[in-house]
Amino acid sequence: MIFAALSEFLDGTLPPRNCRELQKHLSGCDPCLQYLETLKKTIRACQLYQAAPAPPPSTAVREAFIKALSTRPVRRARLRKVG
Amino acid sequence: MERAITILQQTVFALGMKVCGNPADAEDTAQETLVRLARSLKNFPNTRVLSVWLYKVAKSQCLMSRRKSKFAPEHMLSLDQLMPQPGHDGDSDAKSWAMTPEEALLQREFRERLEKAIHALPKRYRLILVLRDMEQLDTREVAEVMDISEDTVKMRLHRARVFVRNEVAKYLAHAARQ
Repeated sequence: MIFAALSEFLDGTLPPRNCRELQKHLSGCDPCLQYLETLKKTIRACQLYQAAPAPPPSTAVREAFIKALSTRPVRRARLRKVG
Repeated sequence: MERAITILQQTVFALGMKVCGNPADAEDTAQETLVRLARSLKNFPNTRVLSVWLYKVAKSQCLMSRRKSKFAPEHMLSLDQLMPQPGHDGDSDAKSWAMTPEEALLQREFRERLEKAIHALPKRYRLILVLRDMEQLDTREVAEVMDISEDTVKMRLHRARVFVRNEVAKYLAHAARQ
């Protein structure tokens, strides 16, 4: 199915035979070609999109990280036999 | 140490913002991920293993986020519903889509619509779009982080992309008519 293969085609991961079939279809179908272009632009916009900048690490995050780094497993003391 | 914490926190926070969409959940994700990282640091033989692990933990935290987004229904996306309908190619016209992605992202309204479209995706699709297209992980790495097959990654990625494309198309068509 051509529509389902469009992302793989744009990513360059479509198997060669499927790729040829898709290219053959696109060469004679302007609506599909235009649609493909809009999908390509959407993917590119997502790739370029940057989330809002992160605030500096809060004190809680910093302290929790350092505390976790410095925590060592506590060894249980052996109980002596009383007798 | 300070710089390492800052870089790690910014990386995970940015991921949390893209997936969860709000600073509170992103902060929670960053905190939990860094604490777990600190406890497990000695277990990572190389940066690739660390990187995949970080994404796995951040993904789990995002999926558990308590604050449910009103924009994030959890349902499957059907390819039949996402496909353009026969004869309906009005939202692919060159005039609406004239801008390059670089130009479009400079406009605040476009950015907001793109963010809204991404956050309207069900989480299982949103995560894959973020990991693959924004965090630039390859298909194999995304499959490993999500614990699904590569075929499932490809299928969900395509549907996520088409969904976002359709939402952006509605906005651009409306803007072109103004």
